[in-house]
Amino acid sequence: MLAELVQHVVNGLILGGGYALMGMGLTLIFGIMRVVNFAHGELFMLGAFFLYTLFSLGGVNFFAACLLAVAGVALVGAIVERLILRRLRDQPIEIPMLAMVALSVIFQNAAILLWDPSPKTVRHPFSPVPLTFGPIHVVAIRVFAGAVAVALIVGAHLFIQRTRLGRAMRATFQDTDMARLTGVDVDRIYMFTFGFGAALAGASGALLGAVFWVYPAMGDLAALKSFAVVIMGGLGNFPGAIVGGLLLGVAESLGAGYISSGYKDAIGFVLIILLLVWRPQGLFGKKGLSR
Amino acid sequence: MSSKALLGIVAAALLLVLPLLGVDDYYLHLLIMGGIFFLLSAGMNLLLAAGQLNLGHTAFFGIGAYASGLLSLRFDLSPVFTLPAAALVSGLVGWLLGMVTLRLRGAYFVLVTIGFAEVIRLVATNWMDLTQGPLGLAGVPPFNLGAERFALAGKRDYYYLMVLLAGATLWVTARLLRSRVGRALRAVRENESLAESSGISAYHHTMLAMVVSCLLAGAAGGFYAHYITFLSPELFGFQNTVTMAVMVVAGGQGTVLGPAVGALVFTFVPELLRMAAFYRMLLYGVILLLVVMFMPQGLVFYLRRLLASGTPAPGEPTSDGAAFEAGAAAPAPDPALSLRDVTVRFGGLAAVEGLDLDLARGEILALIGPNGAGKSTAFNVVTGFQPPDAGRVHFVGADITAEPPYRIAERGLVRMFQRTSLFPDAAVLDNVLTACHRLARTGLLDVLLMTRLHRIEEQRLEDRARAILAFVGLSHKGDELARSLSCGEQRLLGLAIALAPAPSVLLLDEPAAGLNAVETGRLMRLIEGIRARGLSILLVEHDMKLVMGVCDRVVVLNYGVKIAEGTPAEIQRHAEVIRAYLGSGDALARP
Repeated sequence: MLAELVQHVVNGLILGGGYALMGMGLTLIFGIMRVVNFAHGELFMLGAFFLYTLFSLGGVNFFAACLLAVAGVALVGAIVERLILRRLRDQPIEIPMLAMVALSVIFQNAAILLWDPSPKTVRHPFSPVPLTFGPIHVVAIRVFAGAVAVALIVGAHLFIQRTRLGRAMRATFQDTDMARLTGVDVDRIYMFTFGFGAALAGASGALLGAVFWVYPAMGDLAALKSFAVVIMGGLGNFPGAIVGGLLLGVAESLGAGYISSGYKDAIGFVLIILLLVWRPQGLFGKKGLSR
Repeated sequence: MSSKALLGIVAAALLLVLPLLGVDDYYLHLLIMGGIFFLLSAGMNLLLAAGQLNLGHTAFFGIGAYASGLLSLRFDLSPVFTLPAAALVSGLVGWLLGMVTLRLRGAYFVLVTIGFAEVIRLVATNWMDLTQGPLGLAGVPPFNLGAERFALAGKRDYYYLMVLLAGATLWVTARLLRSRVGRALRAVRENESLAESSGISAYHHTMLAMVVSCLLAGAAGGFYAHYITFLSPELFGFQNTVTMAVMVVAGGQGTVLGPAVGALVFTFVPELLRMAAFYRMLLYGVILLLVVMFMPQGLVFYLRRLLASGTPAPGEPTSDGAAFEAGAAAPAPDPALSLRDVTVRFGGLAAVEGLDLDLARGEILALIGPNGAGKSTAFNVVTGFQPPDAGRVHFVGADITAEPPYRIAERGLVRMFQRTSLFPDAAVLDNVLTACHRLARTGLLDVLLMTRLHRIEEQRLEDRARAILAFVGLSHKGDELARSLSCGEQRLLGLAIALAPAPSVLLLDEPAAGLNAVETGRLMRLIEGIRARGLSILLVEHDMKLVMGVCDRVVVLNYGVKIAEGTPAEIQRHAEVIRAYLGSGDALARP
């Protein structure tokens, strides 16, 4: 009984690590740029496909392929900011939102044309035999995915808190005009932010893609999950996204184990609607959920 | 007859005779689908007018479709009854969802509605007993007029039914958007605080838009169920909502015709793209992106500009400004406004501490003090934006402590805000007209049916708005956008907006901020003119010339505590006030 519970929690935490990475990217982009990135799921998908292409098709070393995939998604993100979002900065919130929706349609259909819609597996170099920790069994790739997710979460956090660039990002987050006045190149920060957020989504996609399947529509559900994560944690709230992601992963894992796997994907949003009734400002948010 | 009305009649006639011209069934089908999407996007557009984008709108379409389908299958009811029932079910669900989500704004609302649709999709997929899950619901009976003998036969019949529904939708959304309801919705979008303090309840208006949009979506779903006769959980897919949103934005959000144009264009575009075979969806995405990026104002905007080129702007009748009546000053007990022991704390810091304040009827009272003294907080308490931790506020005898802002405004206590006290993207006249909201007495039915009573009232409100503009001296600017006014003119417009709901007590938060000496002098005369109409005025101001020049009494706050109270002359000599705020007397001499 207990062992089963712990097993669900461990699985949930590994899944939640991926959600947290997605959510962090989304919340960062929203917090700084006021853009709801509806192409986030497709950046996630691109991370997985870049890994698949480089490693499974191109024969690049697995770990190098992971790194290159993430860098590739970051580059895509930076280009998207430069070519699309920068032109829409003064528009009301729904305009960049719909532009990102259009972009997600483009990316997903381009992926279908490039890689065909059938699901693919990444034949990663880890042994398929589960590692055993007492009564808990975890396959090695999941341990790897979980460890990398934790490292990235901690790394991203340190980056934002400790570095000069991170400080400039936080300043832009708090007050864009004031940041500009103190000499922050806001254009560059925006481009970097979107690239960085995209990289987090891409990393999540590469990790979860290696654990599960890779297919063009894989971003749809992932994007929905990350929306749930950021609402739980509060839009623009970095620690909130981490906790929200882990929480959602565990809740889904437990829900699928004990309630119904059909409704697993609804758990996040049911939680949110309950949360809104009980605490309209979000888990960590302060009063007043505006803009 | 205007050319616009003529154009409308021609378009309507064309729509009516189209099936008689031997148009292919395929095109009739596309027009019918376009009609369904018009019902959907028109509703989405209505709620978006208030700034709320419902990206779960397809849930209400699906709920309507399943409701009508299941009712007719399980209970053998005629679609004549199940279609309206479907609209009601969707409207009811919309109302319930609205109660939970309409406190949210912007991106939060968007994301939660997406989540709602996703939950409903999963329920439709997994609740096999009710919906047959992914297998779908087959064999929904075709539409009939009460009995199977009167079933609709071909595309043409469905087409006319759709023309009927679309016509009704056009009428309802036009009436709502082009009346005070539409003005109120846009006001909520542009400046929610100001809307509330003008007596417009953001919650009630967004709820109205939400319920109407869900009713329309439910009707669209009901129609779809009996037209297609097969339902699947795909109806709840996010892609559908995206299509609707694209139609709204591409057509022209906030306009009446935008959703219709958008729905037609974006029903036909994907069909044209069929030639592109594999590249169809990719091309579709590219077209979406280009439309959003390069014509965010929508097709209707560009069409209108094309049609309107060369037409001169209509001249504006001038009015003399003496005509607007002031607040219905109730025979009230002195004082008009009183605060007793009001305390507000932020964390451990007391922003206002035990404040007592009385504003006599017809008095002009200034609240002064250094920055951070608690003046604005006191204003927020009085107008309902900040519930006090302790103390009571009474307005003409009634306890209004912690009432919502719009209700306080309805009572006749209206404020002007410190910075943006206007609706920037609306015309100047519309700004004032919007704020006349609380004076309207006709009901929603009058608005929808455009009764004589309603038309007279709209005219009366417009006359009033013009008179107020004349009073503050902005008559000549009525058609300009509020954001294009100069700083001084914006303050005057703010004052006009505050006067529009006919308040008996006016709160002015730094009305002279950013004004030059000439403008300030003009403002002082206006304030005296307002008092002459029987209003009481409480103002926060740093401009000592204005304070000492027009006020009967002055209250001085420092660190949230009242340190002095008296006539301007007394205050200027008050030792503690000089030390805390005024400094040496020289400061007063400066302009």
